[in-house]
Order: sequence, then C-alpha cells, then structure tokens
Amino acid sequence: MGLTDVFEKDVMELEKDGILFSTLGRLVAWGRSNSLWPATFGLACCAIEMMQSTNAHHDMARMGSEVFRASPRQADVMIVAGRLSKKMAPVMRRVYEQMPNPKWVISMGACASSGGMFNNYAIVQNVDSVVPVDVYVPGCPPRPEALVYAVLQLQKKVRGETFDEAGIELPMVEGWAR
Amino acid sequence: MSAGAAGRAGAKVTALTEALAHLGAERADQLSGAILMVPRAAIHQAAATAREHGFDLLLDVFAIDWLAYPGHRGPRFSVSYHVHSVGANERCSLRVQLDDGDALPTVTDVWPAAAFMEREVYDLFGVAFDGHPDLRKLVTPEDLEGHPLRKDFPLGESPTLFNDGRFLDPATFRAGMIGTSQGRTGWIGGARKGVVSTALEADGKGGDA
Amino acid sequence: MKLERGRTAVQEIGRGALAHEQTSEFETKLMRINVGPQHPSTHGVLRLVVDLDGERIVRLTPQIGYLHTGFEKTMENRTYQQVVTYSNRMDYAHSFGHDLAYVLSAEQLVDAKVPERAQRVRVLLTELNRMASHLLFLGTGILDMGALTLFFYTMRERERILQLFEMVTGVRMNYGYFRVGGLSYDLPEGFEEKTRAFLDDFPAMLDQYATMFAKNDIFVNRTKGVGVIPPEVAIANGLTGPSLRASGVALDQRKAAPYSGYEDYDFDVPTSTAGDANARIMVRFAEFEQSAKICRQALDRLEPGPIKDPDRRISLPPRSELETSMEAVIFHFKLVTEGFHPPRAEAYVATESARGELGYHLVSDGGSMPYRVKVRVPSLVNLQSLEAACIGGLFADMVVNIASIDPVMGDVDK
Repeated sequence: MGLTDVFEKDVMELEKDGILFSTLGRLVAWGRSNSLWPATFGLACCAIEMMQSTNAHHDMARMGSEVFRASPRQADVMIVAGRLSKKMAPVMRRVYEQMPNPKWVISMGACASSGGMFNNYAIVQNVDSVVPVDVYVPGCPPRPEALVYAVLQLQKKVRGETFDEAGIELPMVEGWAR
Repeated sequence: MSAGAAGRAGAKVTALTEALAHLGAERADQLSGAILMVPRAAIHQAAATAREHGFDLLLDVFAIDWLAYPGHRGPRFSVSYHVHSVGANERCSLRVQLDDGDALPTVTDVWPAAAFMEREVYDLFGVAFDGHPDLRKLVTPEDLEGHPLRKDFPLGESPTLFNDGRFLDPATFRAGMIGTSQGRTGWIGGARKGVVSTALEADGKGGDA
Repeated sequence: MKLERGRTAVQEIGRGALAHEQTSEFETKLMRINVGPQHPSTHGVLRLVVDLDGERIVRLTPQIGYLHTGFEKTMENRTYQQVVTYSNRMDYAHSFGHDLAYVLSAEQLVDAKVPERAQRVRVLLTELNRMASHLLFLGTGILDMGALTLFFYTMRERERILQLFEMVTGVRMNYGYFRVGGLSYDLPEGFEEKTRAFLDDFPAMLDQYATMFAKNDIFVNRTKGVGVIPPEVAIANGLTGPSLRASGVALDQRKAAPYSGYEDYDFDVPTSTAGDANARIMVRFAEFEQSAKICRQALDRLEPGPIKDPDRRISLPPRSELETSMEAVIFHFKLVTEGFHPPRAEAYVATESARGELGYHLVSDGGSMPYRVKVRVPSLVNLQSLEAACIGGLFADMVVNIASIDPVMGDVDK
C-alpha cells in the first residue's frame, strides 16, 4: 500500500493493516510512564523495602524503573522512602528542585505521608508540605508489592487515566503542569 | 534468667572506688551496674584515674534531667560516663550531678570516643563541656532553639485531625489513661505517674490490682 | 608524591619534597567537598565534609542528624509495652536486636522471669535477623564498590528470611513481636520446617557468595590494607562489634556477658588481626556460619511451653481466662490502659547487635512510662572511627570504609 492510501482509506481499514493511531501527547505519556526512573532518596526503613522491591523476587525493573539514578538531574520520580526529619527537609527540597520537569513524587510509607508514628518535634508530618506528592503509599514499611502498585498507579496518572474524588477523569496535562 | 551478668563489677571496680575515695566518690549501685557518684570538680581526675585502672572503652556519656522526677531533691542534671575494661570484662559508671548552667570538663583527652557523645549531651540537654574540640549541635537542625530532651521542652505533637473534623491533642488523650489528669473522658486512672504504692514491690506483692 | 599518613602536601612541600619546584612559588590548596546527605554510597543520610589534598583525605568530619527522629523523647511518652513499637525502627536492619535489648532492660527493671521457650525463640529470631542484616551489609557494601550482581544474590536470601519473619510476626520489617516478659504469641505451624529448610540451603549460598567476591582481584585490591584501624585506636574511639573484632579485640557481649540463654549455645566469635576493610567484611562473612549454627541449636532445643512470664502484672492474661476470672479482666484493663509500673530503678543490659554493643538504659520513676530512655547505639560511636580509618587514604577508599564500618543512620541519629 502506498502513501496515498493513508489519505484515502479510513481509520479502521488502516488499523487492520497495522498502522497505529494516537495523539503525540498520548504517545509521549506512554513512553514516560513506562520508563520512570526514580531518584535514590531512601531515608530509613522504607529504603530497605525499596531495595527489596528491586530484587529478583519483586523486580521493579519490569515496571520501567530499570535504574535508580543517583543524580536527581537524571531522574523522573522521587520516592521519598522513610521518615523526613526537619533537618533533612531543605535538602530534600533542593534535590527535588534539581529534578527536571516533568517530575513526580511518591511518598512511601506512613512516616513520609503523615509523620507516621513519630508525632514530635523532629519529623515533618507530611512531606506534601515540602514537595508536591502524587501517590501516597501507606504501610510501615509498605510491602514491595505495595510500592510496585504505587508505581503502577503513578504510571496511570502519567498517562492521564486517573480520576478525582467525584469520579471525573483528570486531564493528562495535570501531570505535566509542574 | 541470665540478664547479662548483672553489673559486672568486680575487683577492678572496687579498686577504682578506693582510688577515687579521696576525691569524694561514693558507690550508688543500680540494677544497671556499679555507679560511682563523683563530685563535679573531680570528674576529670576521676576519668583519668579510671583510664589508668584499665577502663579503656568508653561506652556512653548521657544525661538525665531530673526536673519532673517525683520527689527529687538536688541538682537538676546527672551526667553518666559508662566505661568498660576490655581486659578484665568489668564495667562501671561515673556519675556527676550538676545544675542548669554548670559546665563539665571534657574527657575527650582521656577517651576520644567522648567527642560525639558529649556533643549529643550538649545538643539535647544544654550541658556544656569545657575544652571540647568541636562543641556544637549534633543531631538537631540548626534552626531549632532549645534542648529537646529537657523535661520542659515540649514533645511537639501535632493535633490529630479525625475524619469527622475533630482535632484531638494526643497528650490530652493519653493523660486520661495514665491518670495524670482527667483528659477527655473525665476518668482518672488508678495510679498516677510516680505514685510508689502501686508499683511492683520487690517481694512480689502488687498494688491495687 | 608519596604522602606519609597524616601529612599534608603543604607540609611535604615545606620539607623540600618537590625540590625542583623550590625556585617557583608552588601553592597548593586543600579542597573541601561535601558528600551527602543524599548520596548513593553513604548508607543512608550521612553527610561528610571531606578535606582533600588531590585524592588523599586530610580531614573528615561526619555531620549527622539528618534522620533524627526524637526516639528517646517519644519513648518517654509511651508506656513500657508501647515502646517496643519504636525500638525496632531505630536500627531497621537488625530490628530484633533493638527489641531484644529493650525488653531485656525492661525485664531487668521488673525482674520478670522469661520462660525457656521464649528465650530460645528470641535467640533464634535475633540470629536470623543478624544474618539478614549482614546480607544487607554485604549486598550494599559490594554494590558500593561497583559490583551489582552480588546485591541480587544476597537480596534473594534476605527475601527468604523476611518471609520467615512474616510467617511469625506478620510483617517483613520492624517487628513488634517481643513483649516485656516474653513473646506476644507463639510460633506458627510450619515455621520450624521452613527455617530448617532455609538453614539447610544456606551454606551452599554462602559458597556462592564467596566464589563471587572473596578472591576477586578488584575486591581484594580495594579492601586489603585499606582503612587500617589499630586495636588501641579502635578502643579509644569506642568501636565495638564486628569492626572491633576485625582489629583483633575479641569483645562480644554474647560471650562476655551472656543474656537470654546465649551461654548455652556453642558458637565461635570470628576475629581477625588485620584491622583493614577486608578484615571487617570477612569477619561479618564468617559470622553468617556462626549465626546459622546458633539458629540450628535453638531450633533443636525448642520445647513446647509458655511464651510469657505468667505474672499478670506484666503480661496480658490469656483470652480464655477473661471469660471466667474477674481478676484477669482487671489485670487486662489495667495493662492495656495504663501499663505496668516498675519500681523506681535504673536498668541496663548490654547486648550484641549486628553493629556492636547495644543497650537501653532505662530510668523508671514508678510510673507507667519510662522516665528516661537512653539508647547506647553502636553506629553512632562506630562512626567516630571513620575518621581514623579514612585519613591518609584515597577518596575512593572512604566509600569502602563506610561500607565496612556498616553504620545504619537510624541507629546513629535516633
């Protein structure tokens, strides 16, 4: 089939002939969601479970997180794994700001999401006050499967398949706005 | 049940006690082991003597703030130096009592291991150590003022927000249960903190329960 | 230019080391760089300020506190049983070690009588956890040197151990399984078989690891002679644990002051005299076998029996008793709402965690919450030896030294 067929035949015929149709936005989002490279930001116990999620049994690399980049400049997502102390908070903000757009944040564990069991002078009670969080993962520590599930949810968010509380689909551009 | 050869105080500790007696040291043992109470002015000399007697491993330097201890009379802080003799497998603690504002001489020249430990005591309690090579905060953020482990420093709990919109202050919630105050429920627990009569007695007889 | 240990380039030049340059003004400066707190090789949030002369470290200052959680102050506001929830989060690699140290101290306070079965289960779980902690140490340590493969192998074994723990406690990490007076509940069925199966497979795995790294040229060159800590320096800096044993000092609290029945077990304490990073790593590697030995012995000696001190003032009564006995209901109520009240005393039991000597100094005021909890953590004190190990060495050796001293930042900052 020649190039003119692309203009003359209709979409369904062309799809049967093996041509995929999409928008550029969807295509880029599909690519991005399937290669989310996390920045190493393991703080405490959750960091050990994050390491366990990369092992052969759970294998987060299947989800696209092939490498954990040490440099935030090469990372897409920051997994805040562990309790964030108030001394560490400005450091985390700096690391977050060094990440290029588009970037996302997964708050892993109870301590990152809400201060967890540490309700005191030393721990930030929700890392959302330092960096904007996309996915919260409950657990103390969350199982590696829970972290993998969180990465899958984030992938949905990146692709624009997420819904807000009222059940209305959120537009994909939300994930790009930052 | 073996509880770690409780104390491990033997001949060496006795010898040390005798050697420090002229400085005013007294034995005040606890379940945790042998404790030698040393007057503040003599602590550096006592440390050096302990080192000479073979207590070469400094395990810990820590402080206790007696401010909220029921029935405590005397200086506000105690600083304890927990030392171990590797050769003889004996250990003891040297303990100093001091008031708020008093400083202690550093023992980093006797045991270099005291560097971080004394800094931690300084950071968390505010006890200064004269002659310390690098006396500054260790674990708390630069902008935190005050000394967190003092009893008059608040724990800093954030109130918990429940789904129905109530804010609950955790300390109030706890207080009702252990009886320091009526708390939210109005019930006062049977034993207030520090009331000795309901504590487990050594001979096995209990309190109200 | 060969630098003597501890001498700076400036001092060497002053001595005329670069004689041919003496006529010209040759100035060198030390470079101060910051490593961390976010850095892949710092084993957590450790920040080091390093003064470098080229590649040689002249000065090293650890800046810590980036994981300070206020454990001690929080524990002062929880009842004695609730503290068990917190203690394991400090050293999250050897959680049972902290739990054990705390409950032993609390039991010393109340003079509890822990039944035999509970003690044996405690030893079994603590030694399994020691193996898991050393597996983590080995995997991440070799990973820091650039070898990725061993990490996956050690994580495979660690996964098996964590699944064993999940069988018993319900969680993979940060277990709150021990109670003051014993255990919270008994071992499940099938646990002993699975543990024995794991212990039977383990020696073959150890051989696999040894083949992978022990004689590897790169590993040997990067660790032999690197970061030597002589025994006097180690003791002066307060070093304890496998790192101290690698420097030749055979100090292990499990032998020096046995607790929880350790005097009944037949095991060795590996030591070395080299004091370098290689020795520190190989001593921990040798401890695998000893821990497995203790685990097998503990399994063999497990007899059915009670798992809690029957004293109702410390331990919750069994559920069946609550239906028939009023006293049991009152004890239950008091324990759950208020907790138990130890007498006014101070307690400390020295234990050997995977990192060194660990102990909880508890001061009780007769109330249901401890008045003061001071945790004698091994990693904080061990970190002071880092400077002694790194000075005069190369910058790349610093990474190896941190890995071999094996600090866990939760343990350091508490």
